[in-house]
Amino acid sequence: MSDALVIAGLNKRFGGLRAVQDVSFTVKQSETVALIGPNGAGKTTSFHLITGFHHADSGSVKAFGREIVGLKPHDVCALGLARTFQVAKPFGAMTVLANVMTGAFLRDRHVAAARETAREAIEFVGLSAREQTRAKDLTTIDQRRLEMARALATQPKILLLDEVMAGLNPSEIDQAVALVGKLSQAGLTIVIVEHVMRAIMAVARHIVVLDHGQKIAEGAPKEIVENPEVIRAYLGSGYVHHLAGGSHA
Amino acid sequence: MADLNKWSLLALAVLAAVLLALPQVVTNSFAVDIFIRILLFSFIGVAWNLMGGYAKQLSLGHAAYFGLGAYTSTIMQIDFNISPWIGMIAGGVVAMLASLPIGWLCFRLRGPYFTIATIATAQALMLVFLKFRDFAWGAEGTTLPNLGSAPLMMQFETKASYYYVVLGLLAVGLLITYRIEKSWIGYYLVAIGEDEDAAEAIGVNAPRIKRDIYMISAFLTALAGTFYTQYIYFIDPATAFSFNISIEAALVSIVGGIGTLWGPVIGTVLLETTSALLQSWLGSSTGGIQLTVYALILMAVILWRPTGLMGMLNEMLQRPAHHEKPARARSVL
Amino acid sequence: MLEIVIQAVVNGLLIGGIYALVSIGVTLIFGVVKIVNFAQGEFVMIGMYITYFLFSYLGIDPLLSLLVSMPVLFVLGVLIQHFLIRRVLGPNDMPQIFLTFALSLLLLNLALLLFTANYRTVHTFYSDEAFHIRGIYVPVAKLIAFVVAMGLSGALWVFLHTTDLGKAMRAAAQNRDVATLMGINPNYVFAVAFGAALALAGAARSLLMPFYSAYPFVGQVFVLMAFVAVVLGTLGNVIGALIASLMMGVAESLGIQFVGADSGLIVVFAMLLLTLAFKPNGLGGGRVR
Repeated sequence: MSDALVIAGLNKRFGGLRAVQDVSFTVKQSETVALIGPNGAGKTTSFHLITGFHHADSGSVKAFGREIVGLKPHDVCALGLARTFQVAKPFGAMTVLANVMTGAFLRDRHVAAARETAREAIEFVGLSAREQTRAKDLTTIDQRRLEMARALATQPKILLLDEVMAGLNPSEIDQAVALVGKLSQAGLTIVIVEHVMRAIMAVARHIVVLDHGQKIAEGAPKEIVENPEVIRAYLGSGYVHHLAGGSHA
Repeated sequence: MADLNKWSLLALAVLAAVLLALPQVVTNSFAVDIFIRILLFSFIGVAWNLMGGYAKQLSLGHAAYFGLGAYTSTIMQIDFNISPWIGMIAGGVVAMLASLPIGWLCFRLRGPYFTIATIATAQALMLVFLKFRDFAWGAEGTTLPNLGSAPLMMQFETKASYYYVVLGLLAVGLLITYRIEKSWIGYYLVAIGEDEDAAEAIGVNAPRIKRDIYMISAFLTALAGTFYTQYIYFIDPATAFSFNISIEAALVSIVGGIGTLWGPVIGTVLLETTSALLQSWLGSSTGGIQLTVYALILMAVILWRPTGLMGMLNEMLQRPAHHEKPARARSVL
Repeated sequence: MLEIVIQAVVNGLLIGGIYALVSIGVTLIFGVVKIVNFAQGEFVMIGMYITYFLFSYLGIDPLLSLLVSMPVLFVLGVLIQHFLIRRVLGPNDMPQIFLTFALSLLLLNLALLLFTANYRTVHTFYSDEAFHIRGIYVPVAKLIAFVVAMGLSGALWVFLHTTDLGKAMRAAAQNRDVATLMGINPNYVFAVAFGAALALAGAARSLLMPFYSAYPFVGQVFVLMAFVAVVLGTLGNVIGALIASLMMGVAESLGIQFVGADSGLIVVFAMLLLTLAFKPNGLGGGRVR
């Protein structure tokens, strides 16, 4: 399995704040990797860096072998990386169909073809019933679905999902997890930023943990949960002995 | 392809017939003058709307292109004896070229500061033309030589002929807008207007699209500048680069329905008719009354119906629509 | 030669101080309420007319009327914010731009209707007085204006950085939602900001009257200057607006002196365009917009 996304030595500072410090990790093709960490750890900033919304101070990001640092977001998307935003950004005045068609136009400028692709993406995420609804009238979870459908319409090979589960109730989370599973089965490489542990455990093969801009751990879900560094980052050192399990005491 | 259903086409045909026949039926010169004004400002509004309505790049400096168009064709006519028909196109090209550096500068700012930058550039152009007498007659401007009936030099004996010219311009503008609205460009424009970052994330090259639509908008506005100069046989910087033109371009689109095909037209009809009525009630425009009323209308629209008259119309049409969705409700916008 | 330059610089600084009052008001509103108040110049204009009438009919000196006008305008600002501005705050730019623009248009044309386009001047006992310092001519009226302007700006800065309300305003400016969570009522804060900005405009006009005429379009001139200063000084940055205003005053003055009488505007535009071209975030170099 080749490497879909190779991130090496990514650095970004804003004034005096080192938002992302020497972050490196690799995502294999068709793999689902979770990027986790406490608030302010640099997860969303990493997404911005990868997709070209911020310019990295140094480091490299290679998508399928191709260097993408320095590219503008629309070029990054054209190369096959799509992303969703932490706070959904629908095109409020447009209908769901129109929103997704806008994404589809990247690959084919013809209206009829774009409509086809859009309908497929809409069906995939389960929004078909709302096709003609104005995006601003959608519920939160439907807006998340819309974000996903719109990103999918660009026919990406790599999908970056930023906290799609935030604010969802348990049944909605299950639906979202199922959706991510479907995407993974379809062959998509996925990097997901999340806080909801249940979801992460269910979808991720591999987890990368950030704290204060740095990578502090990486590994399979089971290892991460027991990793003292991770526990310390989330809960503080008081809990390390508590939760690290007997063998690490 | 349900957008152009039978009723819409029929309505369009009727409208076209009425418009074509109008100057033959109504011969009162004052009335035809109003019609011409309405058509002209509809056209200017349509040109503005492409950028300001769909993509929400709110420029208040379109007078810059109006003036550039006017001056280009006039200079070519008076100094080089070239027909204004050619001059009109040349003016459009000049405006397009000018929109590149102006756009590059102004797009570096967003929101209201973009707007201010556009105002500044239009004012700056006016200042330039006021100062430089060598190539453009300075502050006094110039009148056009009256050649009587000279269709090849865009001068006509009857007002009706001017009416048809500007009607043609408006038709062109509407056609261009319609084609754009229905194509991928239309979707991209609205996306940029709604959320530029989200648009970028799905592959929209926002800077390039903004630049391109600005060029088209500038081109069309310049054509209007040429026409107006030919119509009033006069040009000077204060008229050609008048801030009022920039204002009205935006105003008719907002009042009529920003980002819609017919918005600017409806808006113009409302505003110009109001203006004409005021003029006949109060005598020649007591400086300020027209704009005061415009300002009040604008405030009313913004506070109560930001989607403009077209928005109101859409709402009224959507209520009875349960099974048969009228063409408008199904449109993207 | 040097004298001419110094004179021009002094003139520029003095007028720049006034520009500062207007531009600080604009940047304050922009920073806190996050909208651009196109009507700011018109408030200055209205104030000038009020000052004029107070002086002509009641003989009240403009500087004294300042004590009346500032509170009045403050209240006016609060009212406008409450009834008009509040309704268009939101993610969409368009309503706010055009609402304040419409307001500006309305006020300007009402003034045109009511007062006609004639210039009105106020002639106080110190209008023609001037200090002569080593050959440099410093008009008293302008000097007073400058000093008061600097004083008000300084007071505002202190207010923003030391008082609780001032800090609340800065907090709301940086992050409206979090500020709300902290118990700061954004509408209240905005109202204060708007009121303060208008009060500053009011001050500007009172200070200007002794040496500047009131006419309907005077607002436009100032507002354009103010906006350029705000952009130059970085949006939302009060100190930046102040410094930029002074710079612009000087630039305009030098332009008038060395290039020609009506080149002041061109110089200013040139500054704006250059800034846009090379440092669109303003010389403050701070906030990303």
